[in-house]
Amino acid sequence: MKSWKRIGSTILASVVALGMLTACGGGGSASSGTKITLFNSKVEIETQLEEMAEKYSEEKGVDLEVIYSGDVVAAHLATKYASNDPYTISMVDAKDVYSLAEEHAVDLSDESWVSDTDYAVSVNGKVYGFPLCVEGRGIIYNADAIENITGEEFDPADYKTLEAFEGLIDELKDGGMESPVGIMKEDWSLAAHFLSEVVEQQPDADAFVEQLQAGTADVANNEKFNQLFDAFDVLKDNNYAKNNAISAEREVTEQKLAEGEIAFMFGGNWDWSVINAYDYTENMGIMPIPEDTEDGTNEKLLGGGAKMLFIDNSDATTDEQREAAKEFLKWLAEDDEGKSFIVETANLVSPFKSNTLEVSDPLGKSIKEYADSGNLIPNYDYNPDDYITVMGAEMQKYLAGEEDRAAFATAYEDYWKTATLSGK
Amino acid sequence: MKTNKLSYKMGQFLMFAGPAGILFCAVVIVPFFYGLYLTFTSWDGVSLEKPFVGLDNYAAAFADTAYWSSLGRTVVYSVISVILVNVVAFFLAYLVTSGIKGQNFFRAGFFIPNLIGGIVLGYVWKFVFNRAFVSIGEALSGTAPGSLLSTTNGAMFCLILVSVWQYAGYMMLIYVAGFMGVDNSLKEAALIDGCNSTRAMWHVVIPLMRASFVQCIFLSTTRCFMVYDLNLSLTNGEPFSSSVMAAMHVYNQAFVYKNYGMGQTEALVLFVICAVIGALQVYFGKKGEVAA
Repeated sequence: MKSWKRIGSTILASVVALGMLTACGGGGSASSGTKITLFNSKVEIETQLEEMAEKYSEEKGVDLEVIYSGDVVAAHLATKYASNDPYTISMVDAKDVYSLAEEHAVDLSDESWVSDTDYAVSVNGKVYGFPLCVEGRGIIYNADAIENITGEEFDPADYKTLEAFEGLIDELKDGGMESPVGIMKEDWSLAAHFLSEVVEQQPDADAFVEQLQAGTADVANNEKFNQLFDAFDVLKDNNYAKNNAISAEREVTEQKLAEGEIAFMFGGNWDWSVINAYDYTENMGIMPIPEDTEDGTNEKLLGGGAKMLFIDNSDATTDEQREAAKEFLKWLAEDDEGKSFIVETANLVSPFKSNTLEVSDPLGKSIKEYADSGNLIPNYDYNPDDYITVMGAEMQKYLAGEEDRAAFATAYEDYWKTATLSGK
Repeated sequence: MKTNKLSYKMGQFLMFAGPAGILFCAVVIVPFFYGLYLTFTSWDGVSLEKPFVGLDNYAAAFADTAYWSSLGRTVVYSVISVILVNVVAFFLAYLVTSGIKGQNFFRAGFFIPNLIGGIVLGYVWKFVFNRAFVSIGEALSGTAPGSLLSTTNGAMFCLILVSVWQYAGYMMLIYVAGFMGVDNSLKEAALIDGCNSTRAMWHVVIPLMRASFVQCIFLSTTRCFMVYDLNLSLTNGEPFSSSVMAAMHVYNQAFVYKNYGMGQTEALVLFVICAVIGALQVYFGKKGEVAA
C-alpha cells in the first residue's frame, strides 16, 4: 500500500516538474530577433499563414507567430486587451478598425503602400487599417452545369435582368435540374451579405441609413428593396432545400454547387475554400444579382477591401515590435514573395495595384475582373453590432416562409429606428 | 507553546484555509465585485475608458425584451429538462441497482454522455437530427421531412432531448449512491410488515433518499439555467433566434453587440434568479429531510 503511494506521488511530482519545464521551454529556443504576433481571423488561410510565418521568421530574423481564433473578433480582442496581452498585428473587419483604431492602433499614414491601394481604412484622415485582400459577393454560378443542359456557352452578362435569369432557371428545370439554386441559411450570409445590399445599392447609402434611423424611409415601397427581394424570391423558390431551408448545411450546398447538382448560389469568393474541398469544376464565377433595373447595379458585384490588419499601439508592444510589424506589412504589399504569398499561396485577391499576379481560383478571378474595371459597389461598413443576429433572424423567417415581404419591411424599419451604427 | 492563544489559532487557520481562501477571493470574490462595478459603466469591452452611467444598464436590461423572452424560454426549457432528467435518472438508477445482469456496464454506459463535452455533443447530435433522422424519415415515408432543428418547437425539443440524454447519467450516479445509502433492513422490515414493493419504494426508500433528490434537482436546475455550450453547438439560437437561451443572449450582448456593461448587468440578473431558485429549492428540500 505504502509503496503504491510513493510511486503515485513520484509520478505526480515528475508530471508537475515536466509541466514546469515545458512551460519555460517555449522562450528558450527563440531567435534573437524581435517577437511579433499576428492574430488571424480568417480560418481558410490558417495553414498558409503558419507556413509563411515560419519561413518569414527564418529569413528576416524576426520571430513571427500566427495565432488563430474562431471567436467573434471583437470579443477575442477584448479578452486580449483586458489581460494586457494584445497581438502586435490583428486581423479584423473594417468596422472593427473604425471602433478600435483611435485608441488601439498605430497610425500608418506614412507607409509607402498607402498610395498603392484604394482599400486602406482611415479614421479622421489617418490610415489605420492595412487591407489584406479584396472580397466580393454576388451569385456564384457553375457554368459547366448550365452548359451541360443548355448546350450553349454561358455568359453571365446575358442574364442581368431578372426576367432573363428566370428564363434560364426555367430552361434548367426543363432540362432536368429540379432546383437549380442553393441558399445559405447562415445569418451572416443572409443579413450581412444579402440584406446589406439594400443599403449598399442605394444611390446614396449613408443618406438612406439616415432616413432609416430617422424612421422616414418607406422600405416597403423602396425600389431597390423590392428589386433585390424580387431576385431573392426567385432564388428562394428554386432553392434545393426549399422545404428545409433553415437546416440546409453550408457544406452540402457548396458540394452540390461544386459538383454541378445546382447551378447558382448567393455567396462570395471566400466560398472557394469550401468548394475546392469537393470535386469541383474550374468553370465557375461570380455574377451580379439579376435585377430589373436601369441603374447599373445589375452589372456590378458588391465588395471591397476585406480583413484589415492593424498594429497595436499600447505599452504592451515595444517600438521595435511595431517597426517589425510595419516591415511585415510592407513585405506583404511590396515584396515579390509577399505578393506571391497573398495571391498564389493564400488564393486571395490583392488590394494593391502593383500586385499584378494572376489570381488562381475562378471566383477570385471574377472579383478581380470586376474590381479592375471599377465595377464593385463598395461595402457599407457601419452596420450595427447586433445587425447580423437580429436581421439575420428576420431573414431566416423570410427564407422559411414564416414572414411575408410587408412584415419583413416593417421589421426592418423598426430595427433601424433604435439601431446604433458601429464605428461612427 | 500556548495553543489557545489567538495568534496561534489565526496561524493555524491561515495555514489550512489561507491558500484556498486567497484563491477563492482571487477567482470568485474579486471578479464578482469587479463585475458588479462594470454594471454601472457603459464599457464596450475594449475601450480604455469605462464611462460611469449609474443605473442606466439596469433600466436598459429590464427594458430588453429579447433578454426577457430568452429568459422565459430558459425557464420553460429548465422546468421540462429538470423534471425529465430526474425522472429518467431515477429510473436508470433503480434499474442499475436492482441487480440486473451487467449492471456495472450499464452504469458506465449511461454515464458516458457526460464525459463528452457539450460542444462536441451538440455537433454530433446536430448531424443526427439533420442527416440521420431526415434520412430515416425519407426511407420510411418516401418524402424528405424537414429537420427538427428547422422549426421553433423542434429546436427546443432537440435541446431538451440532448440535455436529458447528457445529464441523466450523471444524476443517475447520485441516485445510485442514494439507493445504496438506504439500509436494506428498513426495506425488508416494510416488506415483512405487509407492504408491496411499490409502496415500500414510495414510503420508505424515496423519503430516505431525499438528500439525493435535493442535490440532483439543484445541480440540474443550475446547469439548465446556465446552458450555453449545447445551445451554441446544437442550434446556435436558430431558427430565427427562437432558441437563444439566457446565457447566450448575455454573451451576445456583452461581446457581439459590444455592450459589456449591459451584458454584465444581465448576467447578474441571471445569477440572482438562479441563486434565489437554488436557495429556495435547497431550503424547502432540506426542511423535510429524514435523518437515516
